[in-house]
Amino acid sequence: MKAVCWMGKSNVETLTVKDPELLNPHDAIIKITRTAICGSDLHLYDGFIPTMESGDILGHEFMGIVEEVGKEVTNLRRGDRVVVPFTIACGNCLFCRKKLWSACDNSNPNAHLMEAAYGYSGSGLFGYSHMMGGYAGGQAQYARVPFANVGPLKIESNLPDEKVLFLSDIFPTGYMAAENAQIQPGDTVAVWGCGPVGQFAIASAFMLGAARVIAIDRLPERLALARGLGAITVDYSEEDVSVLTALKDLTGGVGPDGCIDAVGLEAHSAQLQGTYDKIKVALLMETDRSSVLRQAIQAIRKGGTLSIPGVYGGLLDKVPFGAAFGKGITMKMGQTNMHNYMKPLLERIENGQIDPSYIISHRITLDQAPEMYKVWRDKKENVTKIVIDPWAETAA
Amino acid sequence: MSPALNEKPHAEAPPAMGPAGMIVDGRYLPPPEDKDGKLWVRTSTLIQAAPQDLYAMWRNVETAPNWQEQITKVVMTGERTSHWVMDSDGKTIEWDSEVLADEPGRRIAWRSIGGDSNNAGEVIFEEAPGGRGTTVTVLQEFRMGKLASAWETFVGRNPKQAVIENLRHFKALAETGEIPRIQRQPHGDRGLIGKMKSSSYGEKIPTPSGSN
Repeated sequence: MKAVCWMGKSNVETLTVKDPELLNPHDAIIKITRTAICGSDLHLYDGFIPTMESGDILGHEFMGIVEEVGKEVTNLRRGDRVVVPFTIACGNCLFCRKKLWSACDNSNPNAHLMEAAYGYSGSGLFGYSHMMGGYAGGQAQYARVPFANVGPLKIESNLPDEKVLFLSDIFPTGYMAAENAQIQPGDTVAVWGCGPVGQFAIASAFMLGAARVIAIDRLPERLALARGLGAITVDYSEEDVSVLTALKDLTGGVGPDGCIDAVGLEAHSAQLQGTYDKIKVALLMETDRSSVLRQAIQAIRKGGTLSIPGVYGGLLDKVPFGAAFGKGITMKMGQTNMHNYMKPLLERIENGQIDPSYIISHRITLDQAPEMYKVWRDKKENVTKIVIDPWAETAA
Repeated sequence: MSPALNEKPHAEAPPAMGPAGMIVDGRYLPPPEDKDGKLWVRTSTLIQAAPQDLYAMWRNVETAPNWQEQITKVVMTGERTSHWVMDSDGKTIEWDSEVLADEPGRRIAWRSIGGDSNNAGEVIFEEAPGGRGTTVTVLQEFRMGKLASAWETFVGRNPKQAVIENLRHFKALAETGEIPRIQRQPHGDRGLIGKMKSSSYGEKIPTPSGSN
């Protein structure tokens, strides 16, 4: 089959590799009909996530048709159409029973690597480094899905792939981000980063009762989508714009009730601290650029809640913890507990409350993926979301 | 106990003694120190299954190859004795083992009795506080002999980590009926560095079969 492989920092290739096979009794093999490149794949592309190795198949947002099931798979059969969550969960450990699916004890074959780095291991993820399980990803024509009784969501309606594909990660991730911001009806919520997760965080914040959402980015195409959802936008790259002042101005001097950092470890900053972080990362004195996190802690109102769906991987420098303590804020974060959200969010799509495909800007083939990683990383061609048809020979 | 605190709605009486020497007179004690050529490892895990079932799974030593790395065969040679075969890269280590203590549903202790390995250990199954499953604690000691050195040279896993990994496999098998694995999945060219890293991640050690 064809698959998009990570071959080193800033080096992705579409290669022919062997087809996946059933390895465990609860496995299923999925013939992938649509897959996507995630903003968090760019962290891999840029070499920020340790334990990526040459030859790793990328991709964790995919859906398709069940091709084959292992002998213990009872929920699925050949021909079922499914969306696959990017976190792999066993369904039986203490954490799965507590519905903390992304903290599953039993799905990471390389748990010892993550234990060494983080103290305890989270669940395995598709296509997201050896530390996170070393599983082959879904930017390919087929994928092996472990614990297939627990994860894949069956799509029984005739909704097109593009409307349900984002249930694999970014819609639930944006939704959990809004839920983690503990939004009360009437709240004002600020969202840093208007990429796909930021978009769904904005939409979900409104669904959960926000009166006003303020969206912060620098890319016109993303800011336009955010305004389309009803957010007020702040372009931090404009001359004379201070995000802190803007958020004060727009909240009557109170600050946002909830802040969502949908950027994570590769934050850009128009200020001097952007340069400071780039130098420290280059010198290996910090691993993550945290200018958004710093700003959000500074901007949030007293007693507010900071939600962090943006990915962080390692060590941060100069995080204003005194401000966090002084204002008594709450912070919530982590990989998405996917399995809690897929079904309810599918219902919202089926009811016509939201059409997630509005963010798609590019439809490509597997062979075009390497080029498009670069295009998106360099923020060219107004990319907002790239979807791949793994069986197409020529681009749509 | 002091009368200073009289409201503890969910507290359970603290054990005077904990498993594998972990608690003595209400105080936590660290695992024994490595010395005189003896290595110790103490590790524990929380499993969503009954102590009796986990005890039975462990006590059925002939199924140990399903969840212990590189153990290829275990044969019962008596009511309390068994013969163990470990294999890696075509090299074979064999030893006999004897059960020293057998408390059904609670504890098993063993030691090797000749052969290429000098080890002893115990496993304790206890209900976790708050009804959250069964805590399984393993305490194992090794003499640095043929086993440890062979293990380290050609397995790429030190014997302490092997005990930790085996307990992890035991838990996965008990809770899910399988052991998570990635060997034999597709990938692109690993290159020289990728192959070395794969070894250092422990990915070259065959994942035990589980229920396959």
